[in-house]
Amino acid sequence: MDINSVVTEINRPRAQNDSPLSSRRATKASKKKPTKRATVYFEVEILDAKTREKLCFLDKVEPNATIAEIKNLFTKSHPEWYPARQSLRLDPKGRSLKDEDILQNLPVGTTATLYFRDLGAQISWVTVFLTEYAGPLVIYLLFYFRVPFIYGPKYDFITSRHSVVHLACICHSFHYIKRLLETLFVHRFSHGTMPLRNIFKNCMYYWGFAAWMAYYINHPLYTPPAYGDEQVKIAVIIFLFCQLGNFSIHIALRNLRPAGSKTRKIPFPTRNPFTWLFLLVSCPNYTYEVGSWIGFAIMTQCLPVALFSLVGFIQMTIWAKGKHRSYLKEFKDYPPLRSPIIPFIL
Amino acid sequence: MAGPTSGRSAENGGHKKRQGPGAFATAYLVIYNVIMTAGWLVIAVGLVRTYLAKGSYHNLYYSIERPLKFFQTGALLEIVHCAVGIVPSSVVLTAFQVMSRVFLTWAVTHSVREVQDEDSVLLFVVAWTITEIIRYSFYTFSLLNHLPYIIKWARYTLFIVLYPMGVAGELLTIYAALPYVKQTGLYSISLPNSYNFSFDYYTFLILVMVSYIPLFPQLYFHMLHQRRKVLYADRKKTE
Repeated sequence: MDINSVVTEINRPRAQNDSPLSSRRATKASKKKPTKRATVYFEVEILDAKTREKLCFLDKVEPNATIAEIKNLFTKSHPEWYPARQSLRLDPKGRSLKDEDILQNLPVGTTATLYFRDLGAQISWVTVFLTEYAGPLVIYLLFYFRVPFIYGPKYDFITSRHSVVHLACICHSFHYIKRLLETLFVHRFSHGTMPLRNIFKNCMYYWGFAAWMAYYINHPLYTPPAYGDEQVKIAVIIFLFCQLGNFSIHIALRNLRPAGSKTRKIPFPTRNPFTWLFLLVSCPNYTYEVGSWIGFAIMTQCLPVALFSLVGFIQMTIWAKGKHRSYLKEFKDYPPLRSPIIPFIL
Repeated sequence: MAGPTSGRSAENGGHKKRQGPGAFATAYLVIYNVIMTAGWLVIAVGLVRTYLAKGSYHNLYYSIERPLKFFQTGALLEIVHCAVGIVPSSVVLTAFQVMSRVFLTWAVTHSVREVQDEDSVLLFVVAWTITEIIRYSFYTFSLLNHLPYIIKWARYTLFIVLYPMGVAGELLTIYAALPYVKQTGLYSISLPNSYNFSFDYYTFLILVMVSYIPLFPQLYFHMLHQRRKVLYADRKKTE
């Protein structure tokens, strides 16, 4: 569901080693350059992680060179592997080194052996999100307008007689338009790219579920909610409340990180009451997101929507736990009251 | 080289995972695997005896229906083992494999009576029986740290024939069930209903059959790869 913040999350556990520290060191080192004494250059050898074949040998690498710089040097001899495709590790099966890691801070001698793995073709996060979210928006509307070849010619372009169907369409479209706008104007991505094949996986998930849900909600044989307007009213309130909450959290997270930086801080409640959930939960954006979908499920009283909420909830819980863990690891003074996604429970 | 080794040790220190199950869990797993091996042996013996008694391989299913259902359903515990962590395999993958068989046992063969007379049922039952006897005894002996080479070899070799045989049997059985499912509307839900949900078991079965196309080669080549890795590594060691 809301992968948005996951972009940052996924990379966080790996990122935490010493990126703020090392970048500081990097600037110090570069300031020193003019008064340079005899530097001991490093030799870097890059082997294929699978075959152990020697791909590249770099002599005379500055000790304070970052992994990003080494990746750039490597690209010169292997132009097909642009830096974002490269994963460099100390151990063939170990974790990838961060771009900010500095050669001389790594546990290597003056001859470093790095293992290379090709991450495959990369694509930018923004592109991925736009395709992921534009899909459901359009697909849902196709079902809403009952485009031919879906429900049979009798129903083509005939609008539903249930008002809740129109309301559901507004809510669904609102949700995805909000996400698209947030992707464009609110989110700050700590990592530029992701593997190309992920886009197929994610689109299958979002588009497939959207079609499945839209099919039933806009079906000519749709049965409106059992408790009528009362149920719909409550559902709309839940939905809107959670949408506002989700948006507030995204704004708060954006303000936490100044443009272009990769620093990380603990998010705290701000003056906006929706963000007060930060007192109890590490990822309130997910809490609100799940809430929105539960609201939508109550509104439409449609089993596939409930299933989508459930699957999304499971996925977001996994992400939230990961992020919660990395917060705990990174910040000694992390508020002990917080749980990953549901206050006091999960 | 200092780099790689120190990197690895740091990581192993972080995750204390690969330690194997504790004594109690091992004892339980041995019992479980012994029972499952025995169970599938019962099925094998039942098949052979009925075949010898009747002199025909038709309709052997009825002679082993009960133990087949019981022990194939018992495989669901394997998912629990993975989930609890006493077995280090992937929960998702194990669940998928076990569920697909439980599905075939109950939702196809058990539910569509007409299909039980088909010879295709025997095809997958025989393939499963041999595979499972070897697989469960493989686990048992591995847990006891006395794995005879013949069992290891059999586990990583016989699938070359048994796996396609099982898949063929499964596909033919589902295919045979299709007309009866369509006729009776088995397990199907139609609109309108207050859950706003419908389900067409007939279409679902067709989708299941189609899903074999990408999955089968993938698993088959994965197994071939494993075979090369496991058996070839042994030869290297003994040299």
